[in-house]
Amino acid sequence: MSLNTANTSSAEQSLPLHGEDERKIDVARYSVLLLIVSIIGLVSNWVGTGTDPLTALPGMAILYIVSVAGLFLARFVPFYLPSVAWISLLAIVVTIPGIPGAEWVVAKVEALNFLALATPALAYGGLALTKGEFDIARKSGWKIVIVAICVMLGTYLGSAVIAEIMLRVSG
Amino acid sequence: MSQRSLTAGGWWLHAIVLALVIIAELIGIRKISIGIGTVVFLPILYAFAMGIALNPYIFKKMAALIPPKAVKLSGTMITIAIMPFIAKFGTTVGPQIEEIIKAGPALILQEIGNLGTIFIAFPIAVFLLRMGRESIGATYSIDREPNLAVIADKFGLNSPEGAGAMGVYATGTLIGTFVFAIMPPLIHGLGWFDMRALAMSCGVGSGSMLAACTGSLVSIMPEQKDVILALAAASNILTYATGLYVGLFVALPLTEWLYKKCRPQDAAAR
Repeated sequence: MSLNTANTSSAEQSLPLHGEDERKIDVARYSVLLLIVSIIGLVSNWVGTGTDPLTALPGMAILYIVSVAGLFLARFVPFYLPSVAWISLLAIVVTIPGIPGAEWVVAKVEALNFLALATPALAYGGLALTKGEFDIARKSGWKIVIVAICVMLGTYLGSAVIAEIMLRVSG
Repeated sequence: MSQRSLTAGGWWLHAIVLALVIIAELIGIRKISIGIGTVVFLPILYAFAMGIALNPYIFKKMAALIPPKAVKLSGTMITIAIMPFIAKFGTTVGPQIEEIIKAGPALILQEIGNLGTIFIAFPIAVFLLRMGRESIGATYSIDREPNLAVIADKFGLNSPEGAGAMGVYATGTLIGTFVFAIMPPLIHGLGWFDMRALAMSCGVGSGSMLAACTGSLVSIMPEQKDVILALAAASNILTYATGLYVGLFVALPLTEWLYKKCRPQDAAAR
């Protein structure tokens, strides 16, 4: 896997372009891996917020079930939506006031800090960087770094300006 | 095959991640006040930085514990590890549904604001840095996975446009979390924006950027936590739904058109 020139085939191997085909994922394997992630998430939450894993367990179980259900929907529903979209929608539905059990769900997931749940993903992220990604970043040079920062700033500010105008107009 | 890759080098990977997570959470959130605002450091930043430091391509000896196969598994684990986070994020929406409906028009229209990259990054790339067709791929969107797929499909990744998109993708992967943790509190410090506007702008379609952005906003305005999370979650879901199409049918044609206007010779040469 040496990538000296960023030609198409090797670049595609090192970038997550085709890793995203969720129509073919193995739901059973992902469910096992999700279990590992959930345990790490409980520890992360414990260290970060002081909430012991036993107290946070029901909330984590809810998030686990929602995630697995989202995977199922992404895999088997005839039209395509990414699993994260399904997971988001399911999580919203089970917490809308009036839905049976919504209050209980909200109370239980309250034990989990959202940032503590993101920490494991970023740790995997740092370890997952491939030689290809380091090479592309190195090869692209300082101009791309400046442009990338402007892209992020522009995307964020553009949204903030429109949102601000709309909020002022609609009160 | 799939059963073996679950364990081959996998347990070391998970154990190292667990250790990094514990260290990162022990350090916790750190805030530094500077003149123009607050700089916020989050556990996700330390976890990512430590992950890079231990990455076997940086720290060669780690290859014994994390062989290339485990690096690949780690890539899969990002997608999986972000799921409970996204689920937790979704659960913040339901209780705030009235607030979200109230902000509905702003929420929907701010999606168009993602085109803001074209107005800031494109002129800088084309006029200041004198870049060529790379500018198109680099600046038409925030260049996360779906946007990268659009460029790969249309131009191929070995085209100038592809190189630009991949450069921004790789840079975003390396520093995006840092930028999205540092930037929002500083922009909040300007005093120009409603915190709801800053919160809904966090939904750019990347889990780690979303985490960094909302994490930094919540740590400077803890009393607004519920509203910030709910608006950011709603906006992020909208970006999942619309981002690809806005990119494909609006942002990319617009960027190409602008490039032709700015560099008529280059466009004619093709």
